[in-house]
Amino acid sequence: MTDFNIVYTLALIVVAFGAVMTTVGYLTLAERKISAYVQDRIGPDRAGPFGLLQPLADGIKMFFKEDSTPKHVDKIFFFLAPGIGVATALLAFSIVPFGPSSPPPGPVSVDAGRPLELAITTHEAEMKAYQEHTTFAIAPGLDIGILFSFAIGSLVVYGIILGGWSANNKYALLGSLRSSAQIISYEIPLGMSILGLILFTGSLNLEVILDYQIKHGWFILYQPLAFLLFLVSVYAECNRLPFDLPEAEQELVGGFHTEFGSMKLGLLLMVDYIHMITTSFFMAILFFGGWHLPFGLTNFDGITGLVIKVAVLGFKTFIFLMLYMLVRWTIPRFKFDQLMGLAWQVMIPLAIINLVTVMVIREFKLTPWILTATSLVTFFAAATISTRDNPAANKKRVVVRKPEPVTT
Amino acid sequence: MATVYVNDKPVDIGNERLNCVQAAEKGGIHIPHYCYHPDLTVVASCRMCLVEMGDLKDGKVAITPKVFPGCQTPVKDGTVIVTGDYAKRDTSLPVLGYPDNYKPGDRAKKAQADTLEGLLINHPLDCPVCDKAGECKLQDYSFQYGRSQSRMIDEKNTPPNKPEISSKITLFTDRCIMCTRCVRFTREVSGQAELSVVSRGHHSEIDVFPGEPLENKLAGNVVDLCPVGALGSKDFLYKQRVWYLKTEDSVCAGCSTGCSISADSNKDVIFRLRPRPNPQAQGYFMCDEGRHGYHYVNAAERLNRPHVRKDGKLAPIAYTDAVKAVSDEFKDAIKKNAASVWLVLSPFLTVEEAFLAAKWLKESSKQVKLALGPVPFVGEDDTYPKDRRGKALQPVRFTIRAEKCPNRRGVEEVLRTLQGDVITFPKVIEAIKKGDAKAVFLAGGYPVKGSFDVFSEVKAENLLLAVSDFFTSPATELAKYVFPAAAFSEKEGTYLNHANLAQTLHKVSHAPQETRQEGQLFQDLAHRRGLFNLAAVRKELAKEVPFFGKLADQVPELGVKLV
Amino acid sequence: MSASSASVRFIEEPKIGFLERMYIPAIMEGLSITVGHIFKPQVKTEQYPEQEPELPPNYRGVHRLNRDTNDRVKCVACYMCATACPAHCIDIVAAPAPAEWKDREKYPETFVIDELRCIYCGMCEEACPVDAIELTTLYDLTGLSREQMIFDKEKLLSVFDQTTKPDPHRGNKITDPVRTRSGLLGPAAELPTVK
Repeated sequence: MTDFNIVYTLALIVVAFGAVMTTVGYLTLAERKISAYVQDRIGPDRAGPFGLLQPLADGIKMFFKEDSTPKHVDKIFFFLAPGIGVATALLAFSIVPFGPSSPPPGPVSVDAGRPLELAITTHEAEMKAYQEHTTFAIAPGLDIGILFSFAIGSLVVYGIILGGWSANNKYALLGSLRSSAQIISYEIPLGMSILGLILFTGSLNLEVILDYQIKHGWFILYQPLAFLLFLVSVYAECNRLPFDLPEAEQELVGGFHTEFGSMKLGLLLMVDYIHMITTSFFMAILFFGGWHLPFGLTNFDGITGLVIKVAVLGFKTFIFLMLYMLVRWTIPRFKFDQLMGLAWQVMIPLAIINLVTVMVIREFKLTPWILTATSLVTFFAAATISTRDNPAANKKRVVVRKPEPVTT
Repeated sequence: MATVYVNDKPVDIGNERLNCVQAAEKGGIHIPHYCYHPDLTVVASCRMCLVEMGDLKDGKVAITPKVFPGCQTPVKDGTVIVTGDYAKRDTSLPVLGYPDNYKPGDRAKKAQADTLEGLLINHPLDCPVCDKAGECKLQDYSFQYGRSQSRMIDEKNTPPNKPEISSKITLFTDRCIMCTRCVRFTREVSGQAELSVVSRGHHSEIDVFPGEPLENKLAGNVVDLCPVGALGSKDFLYKQRVWYLKTEDSVCAGCSTGCSISADSNKDVIFRLRPRPNPQAQGYFMCDEGRHGYHYVNAAERLNRPHVRKDGKLAPIAYTDAVKAVSDEFKDAIKKNAASVWLVLSPFLTVEEAFLAAKWLKESSKQVKLALGPVPFVGEDDTYPKDRRGKALQPVRFTIRAEKCPNRRGVEEVLRTLQGDVITFPKVIEAIKKGDAKAVFLAGGYPVKGSFDVFSEVKAENLLLAVSDFFTSPATELAKYVFPAAAFSEKEGTYLNHANLAQTLHKVSHAPQETRQEGQLFQDLAHRRGLFNLAAVRKELAKEVPFFGKLADQVPELGVKLV
Repeated sequence: MSASSASVRFIEEPKIGFLERMYIPAIMEGLSITVGHIFKPQVKTEQYPEQEPELPPNYRGVHRLNRDTNDRVKCVACYMCATACPAHCIDIVAAPAPAEWKDREKYPETFVIDELRCIYCGMCEEACPVDAIELTTLYDLTGLSREQMIFDKEKLLSVFDQTTKPDPHRGNKITDPVRTRSGLLGPAAELPTVK
């Protein structure tokens, strides 16, 4: 195992944490501003120029509100829930390379007929170079990489379930139950959609996956269907509209956070935004080549290169964050049966088909471009199947009375 | 047997001598009128009751080609009356054989509309400030029979108001429609003829003679008689709009005549009492004493919660605690010496209350003594009409009784049955003074102050005195327990008037604060469960006191004669 | 009134085509609308405290009691407003008018409107036979206690004074000129107009 520089890591943690929290703050402002613009309003514009100090005001408000704890709650879990939520959400961020990265060297390879000593020396040199370059991940070179992130990320559901259950309120409990069902269901298409990528790169390490895309082209080109599945799944994982059933106000008051107030509520709301940031990074890194731009547009060295690469990755992430907010005001909420139907009847079958095709391509060493075609074909086939006339569904539809001939 | 046809409806009038208005009323058809009043002479001056008339002979109706004042025209067998409301008749009845070119009801309708237009020439349209608005006959008839727009372009006659005609009544001269009901009332019923019509034509006005205001004891009736808002009671003036008032049937508690009245209240405050026509009781009117005698009900200084004497002072106590304490103390007193326990029942109690109270103590011991409370008498029976010198005339139209309590007869009957004889109040005082009475419950409810003044001379040690009354008095000064009494308008029950007419009291308003009606109090003292239920108590009363046997059934609206 | 079958138009449920069923194009279309609003905002927001709203003259705001030409309260205490009021927020105590008011018999001794209970429906204004009560365009009614929001006769008359004089807070405009029949007093009995 490589040794790591504790000072550097701590500094990185502080910087990353600060950056994430600031982003969360301004995401709330962006959310409010964008929803205002979409609805032809102005949005918050009183705190500072263009309302730029609004997140600060919100934060102060959250901190200074009366922290009331209802009598009937389970005190320990009630206080623990927001902490668990935020902690797990932040942990998932630890393996995200939020800047330019290079893949860690592979294991010592001797198969090319090289002498073992040379192989070892080369490996050590590579390892030294890897350790000395600037890393933008808190835990670089973690081989289980993306698996760790998904595992930790899914733990967020603990925060929600604990919050909902400890509040001892039926709306909160219903919200948290919905949330758990939803997150468990969408874990499956989420995981399966990126299995294809992992088969291609042969590694769970995000840096390796990124390196593969730089060499062979972005995965969005080969795996558009997988991207679509991933996109939909992360929306569900983040409890964002159109999948925000756990906190559907019209039915459940506030859902799992009904009984929470002050900063505890603030923390619970933060969880969603941290998740959004993490998943946006994942989408940019897994499918859109991370800091990489084609045609050598990011082929710079030194400080300039670092800045440009960080900016490119940041921009891609920003685009996905904006997409989150625009989708919120475009698609209405699903019903719960539709939500489950979408996961189990549509997305999981599609993910399996996608995985099988990838396996076939890899087995027969065919060109990955075939995958682009099969993705599209699979998608259209699925659409055709769903649009065919379903006699059973038609029977249920209310028959509209035929208009009588109008006599004047 | 005579049959009259009103708007094609055959009405059997028997052998009665009726006019058109009465005959139509008998058939359930209302003929509008202002000046006609069943208890006053007919003058036919308002012309509102104009009807078309004819005779039915051999299935053919011979219609007289003019309109008649209905109030002045007697009917006979075969008379056909067609009112202006013919169009609203019961169309299921067969149409009589009218002449071919005759349109039934048209002439009468036109005549009524013209009459109303004439009346409205000088009547001001100040309904918003007029107290009569809402129960005004001119308003109602104008709406039903009149026209919506005035053709009058000249200025209206606006004679000045005359608030000086009486201390209790004011006259808005411009609103008067000259029906002269008030004038006839003062001439025929009260007799002194204070009011008269002065001037002529459309300058005629109601007025009093200089220096002789309208101050007789029946004067208030002219306000009720006035079909418009010309005569107003100063007591009620501008207090409430009439559509806010809730009207309940009740009985006047002022004297033993027991006038049937309608009590008008809003939000538990009584605003006025009006006579309710009852030929068995008093006729159509009531006296001013009774009319304005309700003010004690709204008085601020009324006792409104039970009190108990602590350290020589009366202190408020919860109703249930007071009931428990009194019940226990009287039980002890009866155990010690039942003959020294007295229950005094005032003639202001209802029959049911007196019965429940008597049962409460008599059931514990037969030796408990029941007495009748002080019976207030003022002067002598006052009969009307009187002439201008104040001498009563015959025949008597109205009597104000000297006995100023509503139910002496009823309480006496209860006592007579449950005890055998009626002990009078002076004997109670005597017994207290001698020390023979150790525990006395004084069920009062005297609206007249001073009824218990005799207690100011009484000095009694170790006397257990419980009083229920409206106001503090020498009796409450001596009492250990004081209960607030409920007024006649706050309870349900029966009053028996001087002529043994039993009439039902209805609850008009709620008693203030912690006050319970006495029926409830005695029921609670006797540990009888539940709320006071008039019908149930009456059934029991009718069973145990044969005199009240008739009360077991539904008591009619106008009361029932028990003898 | 029920609609006649001739006036009813029956509409078929729209058929969902292949493109709509695929969701993606439909979502794209939706997104284009959403994004379109961001870049072409049609904001109509009024910046309230800085920018006064333009209210129509028949706006139903705080009540006022009108004064007649002699500066007396025009109200004749007829209780029509209190009767018409669906919220029961008007409380009047009537009394015989002062002796020096020759043309009046009745006037309101107290006239209280609970502005918190009021639903600002304007029925009182419609019911008033002497045009004494009117609703003004004062919309920003605030108070620090419930008691402050219960307006008595003096307060309601002061609203009249405030709204019929140039208001320095609202650009020296007369916000609510007396709009009903003259300022003259007529205790309901006004002479019919000669045709």
